[in-house]
Formats: sequence, C-alpha cells, structure tokens
Amino acid sequence: MRIDMPPRKPRGESIIPMINVVFLLLIFFLLTAQIAPSTPFPLTPPDSRSDIPAQARDVLYVSAKGELAWNEARGEAVWPEIAARDSDTAVEIRADASASAAAVAAHLKQLRTITDAGAQLVVSGG
Amino acid sequence: MSRAGDDILDLGPRRHPRRMSMTPMIDVVFLLLIFFMLASRFGMDAVLPVAGGAEGAASDWQGAPRLVDVTPDTVRVNGTDTAETALAAAVADLLPEPDAAVILRPRDQADLQRLVAVMDLLRDGGLTNLILIE
Repeated sequence: MRIDMPPRKPRGESIIPMINVVFLLLIFFLLTAQIAPSTPFPLTPPDSRSDIPAQARDVLYVSAKGELAWNEARGEAVWPEIAARDSDTAVEIRADASASAAAVAAHLKQLRTITDAGAQLVVSGG
Repeated sequence: MSRAGDDILDLGPRRHPRRMSMTPMIDVVFLLLIFFMLASRFGMDAVLPVAGGAEGAASDWQGAPRLVDVTPDTVRVNGTDTAETALAAAVADLLPEPDAAVILRPRDQADLQRLVAVMDLLRDGGLTNLILIE
C-alpha cells in the first residue's frame, strides 16, 4: 500500500503577503495624506468641534511663546507684509493651543486695522 | 500524486531560473511608506470664524451687553459667574435676534485652547457671531 506523503511545508514564511500589506499601507497614505506645509515653529492648534474646513491659504503663525510668522517675515515685521498682500481672502491664524488667548485677540485687532478681509482661527476639527 | 519514494535521488524538474530579486523594490516601498507616514498631517484642519474687535463694531450694536469673560477656570457673562452648561442659554437670553454678536474677552492668561472650548460651547448653542477683544 502506498501512502501519500504529506505535502512539504513551504520554506519559511512567504514574503508576498507582507509586501501586499505594505503596498496597501503605502496607497492608503498616498491617498489620505496632505503634505504638511512646514511651520516656522512646532505648534499644535487647539481642539475644537468646528467642521468648517480650513483652506490654508494665507496663514499667520503664532507660537506658544507669542512669536509671529508670515511667510518669511518674523515678529512685528509680519504686519506690513500682511498689509501688502494682494488677496482679499480671510487670514487664517494658526496659533498654538497654549498661546495666550489675549495675545491672539490683540493680533486679531491689529489685523483688523490693516485688512478688511476678516480672520479665522485654525483648529484641529473633530 | 506524490512521487516521493519512487526514486529518492529524483529531485524533480529543474527549478525555473530565479525571479528578479524583490528586496530593492521592498526597500523603496518601505522608504516611501515611512516618508508619507512622517510627512503627512492627519485629520483635516478646521477653522473658527472669529471677528476682531474694532472701532466700528459698536455702532451697529443692538440689545443688552453680552460680554463673556473667559478665565482659565470660569466663565463670566457680563461679570456674573455662569456654569458652562448654562452658558449658551444665558447668553442666548440676552440676544435681540438669534444671530446677534457676542463679545468674548480672555482674562487671566487663559490660553487659546480654553477660549476655543468656550467658543465651541457658544457655537453648540447656536451662537456663531463671536467677536474677540482683548
């Protein structure tokens, strides 16, 4: 009587399923990612339940310590730069969650004196 | 059908020539994967529309004063401590019309996260016309 031998076990784990998973991850990140524009300093916007999408056009950065940045301008030099811009879209203020709210209010007031475009506060929406 | 046992020395048909090595491709794919994981920003950012206090705002002000002081631990409506759960209703009672403006004033080094939390409370109560002053 002949008995069939059990099929041989494949040598080691196959690498193909892992590559499949990696490709899936890669495609997922390619499709969902929005390359983050580099911020002049690390900052985390405050959390909010707002669902109005940000446009990320003209962004005034405010760090936790109150530093200002607008394109290449830093500190008080941002205001003439903002006044000189040739767009009338709202300015987005991307401020750190731990920045002083009163300082942000002061920046808003300053913004209001140089542009009529209005302002929006960037938050990480929920 | 197993041929095992027929002839121990028969190693079967010659293997196909080796396929192209996949290792460099996998290296590249991993690099791309890590790049996108690190370079991407998750969660769409949102915005809160907010007006800055300015000289002209007072001229078209209507109704009772609605000044919300935001401190790190409390919220005051026109100077009166108000529970956060009752905040939106307390402010809404003062509005002459539903979309009238409400003034927010951060106090005592309240940080932006605190201010945004209070703005969320007001927005949940249907108050969207928020003015921020110092």
